[in-house]
Amino acid sequence: MTADLLLQGLINGLILGLIYSLIGLSLNIIFGVLRVVNFAHGEFIILGAYAAYFLQRLLGLSPFLAMPVIFVMFALIGWALYFVLVKRLARSDDPETASLLVMFGLSITLGALMLFFFEADARSLDYMLEPPFLMFGNIVIPTTRLVALAITLVITGITAWFLYRTFPGKALRAVIMNRSAVATVGIDVEKLSAMTFGIGLGFAGVTGVLLAMIFPAFSPFAGADYTLIGFIIIVLGGLGHPIGALVGGLLFGVTEQVTVVLADNSVALLVGFALMIAVIFFRPSGLFGRQQLR
Amino acid sequence: MLRVTDLTKTFGGLKALGGVSLHIPEKRVLGLLGMNGSGKTTLLNCINGLYEPSSGDIQLQGTSLLGLPTHKIAARGVGRTFQVPKLFPRMTLLENLAAPFTTGDASDAEVYERSAEWLNRVELYRLRHNYAEELSGGQQKLVELARMMVAQPKLVLLDEPFAGVNPSLALLIIRLIEAMPERDGCSVLLVSHDLTSVYQLSHNIVVLHEGRVLAEGGAAEIRSNPDVIEAYLGA
Repeated sequence: MTADLLLQGLINGLILGLIYSLIGLSLNIIFGVLRVVNFAHGEFIILGAYAAYFLQRLLGLSPFLAMPVIFVMFALIGWALYFVLVKRLARSDDPETASLLVMFGLSITLGALMLFFFEADARSLDYMLEPPFLMFGNIVIPTTRLVALAITLVITGITAWFLYRTFPGKALRAVIMNRSAVATVGIDVEKLSAMTFGIGLGFAGVTGVLLAMIFPAFSPFAGADYTLIGFIIIVLGGLGHPIGALVGGLLFGVTEQVTVVLADNSVALLVGFALMIAVIFFRPSGLFGRQQLR
Repeated sequence: MLRVTDLTKTFGGLKALGGVSLHIPEKRVLGLLGMNGSGKTTLLNCINGLYEPSSGDIQLQGTSLLGLPTHKIAARGVGRTFQVPKLFPRMTLLENLAAPFTTGDASDAEVYERSAEWLNRVELYRLRHNYAEELSGGQQKLVELARMMVAQPKLVLLDEPFAGVNPSLALLIIRLIEAMPERDGCSVLLVSHDLTSVYQLSHNIVVLHEGRVLAEGGAAEIRSNPDVIEAYLGA
């Protein structure tokens, strides 16, 4: 029985971990390219969930069809927000601290606005897949989670292809590795930064839809939790390292879900933090990072 | 090709450049000498847009570069290397050399062909799939030079290309610089503390001292210039 539970936790962890890694990945590329700590990332994730909710309610759009729409919508918001706000932060003498403070303020503002407009009631996406569960012996996997896993794998694959096979993706990685060198080889860092923030928020929106699909409900208060998870993943995987975010997400997801099935839900985040602290102690740069955390 | 007119650059109260003027004709090498802090790197940084000059003008082929961001100056044909090479450490050499093409419309085949040609010229083709961070400092300098040249620049700014490089690699760098004006069709602004190499490679030499032009002329003139001797040797 314990072995089944462990396997159940492991499978849940891999599915959730991969979705979590999208949070880490988007936070990581934003930080890597812009040196901006997007503390409002969790609120954008929740906004993504609300966007799917209202697209379904008002236009009858299924969450699956809503995903590309939300990605484009959030990418455009991110692109515009870059020029309105983020650009100034990225140019400051200490972009990390400046962005941490401003984005923390934005996080509170977005949370308050969501509370004002959407109220505190938890909402759910209204959809059903048949069959609702798949059984493998004693292992139960909700179909929704499998579909979410498939979508996340496709998104991860497209992202990897973009980062490692396309010229803009390589330019984005180049900025992460050596920001001061890219302009001298003719790359427009400004344009790339706006694109990065757009992609980052696009990912946040889509992640929000995925999380709303697999968890029973969402509310305006959940944003901070996801931001926290994102930062734990970054610490685990390494700052500014896209692959690190993937591994960090999987590690955190598995640890969390195995703890949930073996112990208790409330202990799960604690164990995640313990894992993060252990990594800070023994490998301060994260599993894949080269740059030591300051 | 490049004309710098009465260029000044101040940082707070410190005047790093105090009215520097120089001219590099097409397909010529201009050596830039000076002690540490004389303003050599500041001048390069002003030319490729990393610093905004306080006053004066910089013209490339008759068009002012003032106010242009660095990437646009690079797109107009100004290449640059640094005293400490600025490569993309976790990219392969081929990927590093492909970086200048990220905004263009060159095909993959063309990018590979040009990158491979330059990796051959810097004798590092065999390491094309290695990460840049795996190379020695001297090899990194060669890769940076190749990455700059693969974009076919009109003017190259070389900041201390021989610093920290072993003699055999230095010889290769000398050969590459020698070939730049005729074979590659570009002008060169060469900053170096290696007097012998500067004398050997430069058609003309400018000596900077405390942000001003102290002397200008051919190698023989500079060698015998009493102001230069005094500035360098303190006698």
